[in-house]
Amino acid sequence: MNRRARVPLAAILVAAVAVAFFVLPLVGLLQRAPWSSLGDDLTTSQARAAIRLSVICSLWSTALCVVFGVPLAWVLARVRFPGRSLVRALVVLPMVLPPVVGGVALLAAFQRNGGLLGEWLYDWFGVQLTFTTAGTVLAETFVAMPFLVITVEAGLRTIDQRYEDAAASLGAGRWTVFRRVTLPLVAPALYAGAALAWARALGEFGATITFAGNISGRTQTVPLAVYLLLDANRGVAIALSLVLLAVSLGVLVALRDRWFGGLRDARG
Amino acid sequence: MRRTLALVAVAVAAGVCVGVLGALPASAAKPPNVSGAITVSAAASLAPAFTKMGADFQQRNAHTTIRFNFAASSALVAQIQGGAPADVFASADRATMAALVSGGQVTAHPVNFAANLLTIVVKPGNPEKVTSLANLRSVGIVSLCAATVPCGKYAAQVLSRNHVSISTDKITLGQDASATLAAVASGDADAGIVYVTDAKRAGTTVQTVKIPASRNVLAVYPIAGLAPSQNRALANAWVRYVTSRAGQRTLRSFGFLPVPTAA
Amino acid sequence: MLEADVSLRLGALDLDVRLAAADGETVAVLGPNGAGKTTLLRALAGLVALDRGRVVIDGTTVEDPLAGVYVEPEFRSVGIVFQDYLLFPHLSARENIAFGLRARGMPRSEARRRADEWLARVGLADHANDKPGALSGGQAQRVALARALAPEPQLLLLDEPLAALDVGIRTELRRELRSMLDGFSGARILVTHELLDAVALADRIVVLERGQVAQAGPIAEVAERPRSRYVADLVGINLLHGHADGHEVSLDSGGTVVVADPAHGDVYVAVHPHAVALHRHQPEGSPRNVWLGRVRATDLLGDRMRVHVSGVVPLVAEVTPAAAAELDLHDGVEVWASVKATELSVYAV
Repeated sequence: MNRRARVPLAAILVAAVAVAFFVLPLVGLLQRAPWSSLGDDLTTSQARAAIRLSVICSLWSTALCVVFGVPLAWVLARVRFPGRSLVRALVVLPMVLPPVVGGVALLAAFQRNGGLLGEWLYDWFGVQLTFTTAGTVLAETFVAMPFLVITVEAGLRTIDQRYEDAAASLGAGRWTVFRRVTLPLVAPALYAGAALAWARALGEFGATITFAGNISGRTQTVPLAVYLLLDANRGVAIALSLVLLAVSLGVLVALRDRWFGGLRDARG
Repeated sequence: MRRTLALVAVAVAAGVCVGVLGALPASAAKPPNVSGAITVSAAASLAPAFTKMGADFQQRNAHTTIRFNFAASSALVAQIQGGAPADVFASADRATMAALVSGGQVTAHPVNFAANLLTIVVKPGNPEKVTSLANLRSVGIVSLCAATVPCGKYAAQVLSRNHVSISTDKITLGQDASATLAAVASGDADAGIVYVTDAKRAGTTVQTVKIPASRNVLAVYPIAGLAPSQNRALANAWVRYVTSRAGQRTLRSFGFLPVPTAA
Repeated sequence: MLEADVSLRLGALDLDVRLAAADGETVAVLGPNGAGKTTLLRALAGLVALDRGRVVIDGTTVEDPLAGVYVEPEFRSVGIVFQDYLLFPHLSARENIAFGLRARGMPRSEARRRADEWLARVGLADHANDKPGALSGGQAQRVALARALAPEPQLLLLDEPLAALDVGIRTELRRELRSMLDGFSGARILVTHELLDAVALADRIVVLERGQVAQAGPIAEVAERPRSRYVADLVGINLLHGHADGHEVSLDSGGTVVVADPAHGDVYVAVHPHAVALHRHQPEGSPRNVWLGRVRATDLLGDRMRVHVSGVVPLVAEVTPAAAAELDLHDGVEVWASVKATELSVYAV
């Protein structure tokens, strides 16, 4: 056998340990699952409310991430302004911040009593974001947007800017260029970024429980429900965990070719 | 490459040795003074009191270390049943302790050592003008402990005893007493039901609205040493300290009530 | 028609070019890499702003920094054929061509119809629905040209339109490009580094070196009287520089030549390689221009051999391989070179 083709045994063993590290907890979860009562567990009113809320909030959050994140990604990729790298670092910050810390920070900004903006919002408009579904969406958007911005910015950077020059020379205004040239070319990165953001929003716990609280039917998403049910009704907790696991796995499998291929495709 | 492997092997062996040595019990014979370290798992509402008592205890007994693990009693029971290494368990209600008793995980019959009442907490200045439990129906957000946690069970009891029901979309659930309090003290919850001791600890960040004793629910706290403990002597010493006059005095200073004699 | 005075600084490049092209005229811009050819085109298109100067297309000033005039690229009537075509990869050939029409407000069906007409004109009607990835180099070039011409621009800019093609089809496409350009009524600026493209497609030539115009004029004139090393190398003739006094020119390289036409002052002396005769021994007889040199290198180009001779008069001579063999020419060998005075072209710098 060709010496170069042989993989060192040591590497394989260590890799196998690493794979086991990831697989074991998932297998344990599957093994503990109350398969016989799964249907009943998932249709309890608490479970249904949590699932419904998770879906609605994560979708809203993803929409906000796209609406606000794409222009931000565009500015970061195309406009040279002083302090650009600082802005980029700030945008990435929620990715490295512990989610609970993110929740505390959101409170500092949006709390009704003493929040930087929150107090003003409440005094002038009677708007309270804490303990509301909107608050859950806000917290999820806070942690998920960086994923979208980073992915889309990277995608934009790989697009040859001369395509946009060509479009301009053909008479297309800025918006037309964006709509008919830039957006279609960055679409793969956009889908990947949106999927990542959605998965992140779906699984968010620390920021939402800190900022939006734990109100059944209003802010109690699946992760929060699981947390409360751990001691009370572990069966339902595991059933709900399985739902999240299945969804996350689904997203990752669907994206498996797109992780970086999608960014390369955007080159056109 | 070989040398690196050898070094790694030596390091791993050393680590294992240290770990084994550390896990050995402090001593076989029982000296007149207790020593060593124990872990006390206690309900969240006991945190400030037990922390102070732990400091006092360690000061009185040299060579002892008391480590605390505060969380909701129900969560602690799940941990202990799952094999978490704890030496003493102090619960916020007797039902939660009963689960361990029936499982044979306590060394001796639990001892009731403190009692607590519930109170309503509101924002300083009482802007929503809350005077009774009934008012809680009409404020914005009410912070309660989750129903599976002792303080949540007590809150449910006090509400049903007073024929007050709050719609669920206005209730934010805390996973333990501390979180429930925090929602009112530093969060945007308008009111909450917590232990009297919690309200006391929160100081000026909240204002209390008293629930009359006749309409209130009494929480009784039991404590017990755990069977799997590696240092039963120290564990028992702690339990004795908690029920001693010094311990009880400290508990009182934090707002806990003495155990009713009829309990 | 185009009248441009482009003056700008971009990075290390200092561009300062005066350029004009009449309707129907093709001006070729030649130059080495980094000379600023592409930057010049981008400036004319409005993709790069001028520091000073003016760009006037068909009488309308589209850019004048001093007067505060700057027309955005999308409002200038300029068609561009880019070096690698830059066809929109997500659109079909038809949609690519229709892009400029739709961008200017034409309804989709009308634009597609026009695009189909163009596709027929360039012989690609069967490829209307193909994406650029499915097209060959030559097909893509034709689509790119059609896309640029469809909106009927006033000015057409071509950036090395044949560079991306294989040598084999380049000749055929050069011919096609010629006929397409003949059908376009506006002015054209063609950037290339191939003299052959300039000769086939352009009427005038502008040679750009390091951002400045080194030489400009009709191709024949430039080719015959190069004024820079770059052009001389491009055209393939020898260029020498010296000081003339009547019929004698003392060259910078040290030698002296006798020329047929008298001249005075700073001059260039040009001579075709095939007019340089090589001898192993000093020739006797008439040629007054005879020098001793050494063979520096030899290149075999098809059926000709180019011999680089160093010495007081450094020259490249072109001989047949047979002659080279006969003379036993190889590196380091001493040779005598001779040129008739009438073969030397002298002109003022």
